[in-house]
Amino acid sequence: MTARPSGPFSFPESCLSSECSSLDLTHRPTPVVPLVAHEFPPMSFDCQAARRLLDEILTALAHAPASDETRALLERLGSFSALSETQFTAAAALETAGLALGSMRLVPKEQRGLVGGKANALKNVAEAALAAEKQHAEEQRLARERAGTGFDATLPPAPLAHGSLHPLTQVTRELEDLFTSMGWTILDGPEVETEFYNFDALNIPGDHPARDTMDTFWVDTAPGAPRLVMRTHTSPVQVRAMQRLKPPFRAIVPGKVFRNEALDASHEHTFHQMEGLVVGRDISVGHLIGSMKTLLRGVFGRDIEIRLRPGYFPFVEPGFELDARCPFCKDGCSVCKRSTWIELLPCGMVHPNVLRAGGIDPEQWTGFAFGLGLSRLVMLRYRIDDIRNLLGGDLRFLEQF
Amino acid sequence: MKISYRWLARHVDLSGVDPQSVRAELTLSTAEVEGLEPFLPHLADVTVGHVLQREKHPDADKLSLCKVDLGQGEPLQIVCGAPNVRAGLKVAVATVGTTLPGDFRIKKSKIRGVESNGMICSERELGLGDEHGGIWELPSEVVIGQSVARALDAQDWVIEIDNKSVTHRPDLWGHRGIAAELAAILRRPLRPLDTSLPAAGSAAPFPVRVETQLCSRYLALEIDGARATRSPFWLRSLLLAVGQRPIDLLVDLSNFVMLDLGQPNHLFDRHRIGASGIVVRAARADERLTTLDGLERKLEPSDLLICDGPEPVALAGIMGGAASKVTEDTSQLLLEVASFHAATVRRTSSRLGLRTDASARFEKSLDPALPPQAAGHFVRLLQSEQPEVRVAAPPTDVGTWKDTSKIVQVRGTRIRQLLGAEISDDAIADILRRLGFGVDLERECMSVRVPSNRGTKDIGIEQDLVEEVGRIHRYGNIPERELIGALVPPPRDERWARRQLVRRIEDRLAGSARFHQQISYSFVPDTTVERLGLSDVAHVAVRNPIQQGAARVRRSVVPSLIALLASNRRWREEVRLFEVGKGYEPRAAGEPLERHEVALALARTPRKGDARFDDNALSLLQGIVDDVVRSLGLVECTWSKARAPSTWAHPGRAVHACIEGCDGIAAEVAVLEPGVARAFGLVGELESDAALACLSIDTLLVAPQRATRYSALPQFPATRVDVALALPEDKPAAEVRAALERAGKGLVSALELFDVFKGGQLAAGTKSLAWHVVLQASDRTLGEADVKKFLERVEREATALGGQLRRD
Repeated sequence: MTARPSGPFSFPESCLSSECSSLDLTHRPTPVVPLVAHEFPPMSFDCQAARRLLDEILTALAHAPASDETRALLERLGSFSALSETQFTAAAALETAGLALGSMRLVPKEQRGLVGGKANALKNVAEAALAAEKQHAEEQRLARERAGTGFDATLPPAPLAHGSLHPLTQVTRELEDLFTSMGWTILDGPEVETEFYNFDALNIPGDHPARDTMDTFWVDTAPGAPRLVMRTHTSPVQVRAMQRLKPPFRAIVPGKVFRNEALDASHEHTFHQMEGLVVGRDISVGHLIGSMKTLLRGVFGRDIEIRLRPGYFPFVEPGFELDARCPFCKDGCSVCKRSTWIELLPCGMVHPNVLRAGGIDPEQWTGFAFGLGLSRLVMLRYRIDDIRNLLGGDLRFLEQF
Repeated sequence: MKISYRWLARHVDLSGVDPQSVRAELTLSTAEVEGLEPFLPHLADVTVGHVLQREKHPDADKLSLCKVDLGQGEPLQIVCGAPNVRAGLKVAVATVGTTLPGDFRIKKSKIRGVESNGMICSERELGLGDEHGGIWELPSEVVIGQSVARALDAQDWVIEIDNKSVTHRPDLWGHRGIAAELAAILRRPLRPLDTSLPAAGSAAPFPVRVETQLCSRYLALEIDGARATRSPFWLRSLLLAVGQRPIDLLVDLSNFVMLDLGQPNHLFDRHRIGASGIVVRAARADERLTTLDGLERKLEPSDLLICDGPEPVALAGIMGGAASKVTEDTSQLLLEVASFHAATVRRTSSRLGLRTDASARFEKSLDPALPPQAAGHFVRLLQSEQPEVRVAAPPTDVGTWKDTSKIVQVRGTRIRQLLGAEISDDAIADILRRLGFGVDLERECMSVRVPSNRGTKDIGIEQDLVEEVGRIHRYGNIPERELIGALVPPPRDERWARRQLVRRIEDRLAGSARFHQQISYSFVPDTTVERLGLSDVAHVAVRNPIQQGAARVRRSVVPSLIALLASNRRWREEVRLFEVGKGYEPRAAGEPLERHEVALALARTPRKGDARFDDNALSLLQGIVDDVVRSLGLVECTWSKARAPSTWAHPGRAVHACIEGCDGIAAEVAVLEPGVARAFGLVGELESDAALACLSIDTLLVAPQRATRYSALPQFPATRVDVALALPEDKPAAEVRAALERAGKGLVSALELFDVFKGGQLAAGTKSLAWHVVLQASDRTLGEADVKKFLERVEREATALGGQLRRD
């Protein structure tokens, strides 16, 4: 027999299956598991009615022609009849009904209708009671399952390892999505750049002091070969873009840049920038201001006051430093060094020499450019106090994002 | 660069304009102001006192007991140790409670039993220089009881200008230039300054020969009767405010002229220069000069020298030589004021690491009209202190300089268009005139005359004047505008495709693959290169690395991740990192070859003996590569043993993934080479099951897309059969897979290897491969007979492979 849960409502498998009705007279009365009274189903088995039916069947069968078989049947049915009220269960009743129905050939023809009717009635009563019991038992089981004792809602969820995108990637994507939604193109350029694109084309000729301020890594090239640098800014892509795209166009260029600077908590020799470039008809400082406000609204989720002040970069004229009102305080904090302004990005109107280097006629077209410090923005966003964490490759840092 | 507020006020009326306003005005119109600090603020707390009486201290020979009148109340008793204290002196008194520089707080004290109620200060104690011979003797006319700052008019503020913000403005490297800006901004006149040379004596002009184009002007002036006396307080305090140490009147005035007009100059002791005169020439190879700071400098032909006949006496525009400097005995001066070639000065000073106030100015391209003004300014200032000073001879003024003033044509329409602001032509002309430009308003254009001090490099074209107008008009007054343009999507070019691809890969790896994204330096340390056995492989390298052994640029992203495994394994059982980046391979000429790659690294505690055959870093990475390729919608990759694995790859456990229909390897995946693993510290507690992968974005970009086509759902149930084959150890699973598919005669709808096993009852040299096989026909339900036939064919295939179908 299959193992079943041993609750008070367990039934022998055979009684619950269809095999139950097959007649096997050699079989001993099925042991009945006593039920505890208070657990009886509300619509319980009407034992007295069943026993009445059984007695009526026995009475009818008493007139059957005597034979061994008849005797055995009567004895067997009689043994059920002798059961106490608690022992005469629905299952027992069903068994007696089965016995009676299976032995109809022993019953004289004229009584078959009566006996069959009684037996079927007994079967119906028993089956209905069993079905009700079964349903009740199922409800009890469900109730027990639902009761859920000993549950601790504060147990930790199963740990599922997670991956992460680098904070620089996350912020870059936000900005890319913002700008592409306004019809800007995303461009890319090499990290190992020619002197031409990094300097000359940007109006920074060989003797220009601005070259000194950029702490350039010079690539070891053969004597006489065109000189290469680790690009000091993303601006070289300005001229590359002009050469590839026909104006009007708008583009951003996120990427890595390099400066030969000593490392400390706020200085890195490798960091990330995002260049922006717009070339079109009648592009003005007003457009630059409008676009930068849109940018800041995208980054900080609200309007941020800005100011432009003069700044000198050879590839723009006029050139500006753009300050944003510190988003973290009202009257000075450590982020804005108590000034309430954060120096956010250099920008300006593209110098005519740069447009010419890109093959664009500065009389026909004007443009603006900006260079956003992505690393700095990421540090501001997440309040990272040491820039060296950004490229350090420590999982304890990366996992935080 | 430090600028003194009080010094600015010598040139422009700043009444009503406090230092904070000066800072704000300069910030918004001119240059970046980095800081604003009061100069010696404690001078406001120190009081002018009058020593009424001086007696000897009863118990100490060197101490005096003074009664000092502070203008109110009873005179104070103060003990003083200075030898020069005497009755009648006006002195600076720090009373009890005052804090002096160095956080020195004055307290009431008893000195050798006598009460002292303050301190009579020396100049050094007040931060006014090194003078410590005794107490500071104030001029007799100062008012008793006033603060020293007020009495001496020494209240000042120091404005720190960011040098980088004025690299293009040689005219702003002196106080007069900054004052001129304020004059333009505030609409106040610049005070006139007489810089004309006083009448000269009749001696012959000093001989000067300029042998190079790199010195466009050299003015030499002989001055008689000067003495290196102590500078007056006004001069010393101004110099101190801007961070200059006062030395003596001659040196101080030389510095003052430079800081006032922006024109460096140099004083020689006339007696130490030979009669043959000054020669300006390029240095010769291996020539040497000991500069004023006492260091011997090795020179190169690109350096510019000032020579006394054949002997170098100064490094032009940077620093004088030790031999010819003025001393206390100097009475005859030779003043040099010159125009040197900006880039030459810059190159020499940066090569020698010798940045001076002079070189910082010369390298900005100074106005060649300045030298006579500077010379006149110096002589007039000197004469006002030492009236007996005379100009011995007319100045020698030689060179080939050209007037740098010029005319630039400007269109009002252009200015309005570029700024996006409505500014009338008259308003434009007004701004330009305030800035010192001459403006001729014509019909379409303005002719703007650029003065020589703005014309050396700064102002040359129309756009330069747009800036002049914009910054004085103030950018904050320009209304913001929105960009307006055609609504066309950005071009769907290769860059666009790469970015899309990279995003999808990043999302896949950070998402379902649960990897953490790293972004590394592009430089790869020599130690890493050596450990990977790549020392002899050509790398792009920089000439001036941040430190020794950090010059190389990575050829591939993989080494960056390998170097991070051990340090992270210290904290984590499992390290999963990926990086999207670029590698550079040098080429014989031109720009290096740029590769776009995704590198993956997986390192974890070594696998257990009972781990499933595919529960290892290599298999997992292969699975991730498969998944990435599938998620990109590409044709599935095929795996094969790597022919020439990278040096980081285990030579026997490296595979390549290729995608049919495109050349090149889509990915290399391999177990980390065991020697490399050890070299990178993955030993002992950190020993790891480590593997890496390198995906080529360049290959994935050109790989063909998989044609996704719907196939009807099966109508009949499938039958699942498990088969195990015993095979020679070296038989590749791929061949077995093919054999099973053949045996299925088209009925195999899925095939999964679920166990690889060696040992046990298997003969030596054999392995068992166990597979789940799903058989399915599209036209009927398969029965026992079909399975039986399949197994028979498998048996034959197994035999053909040199093995057998296992029946146990």
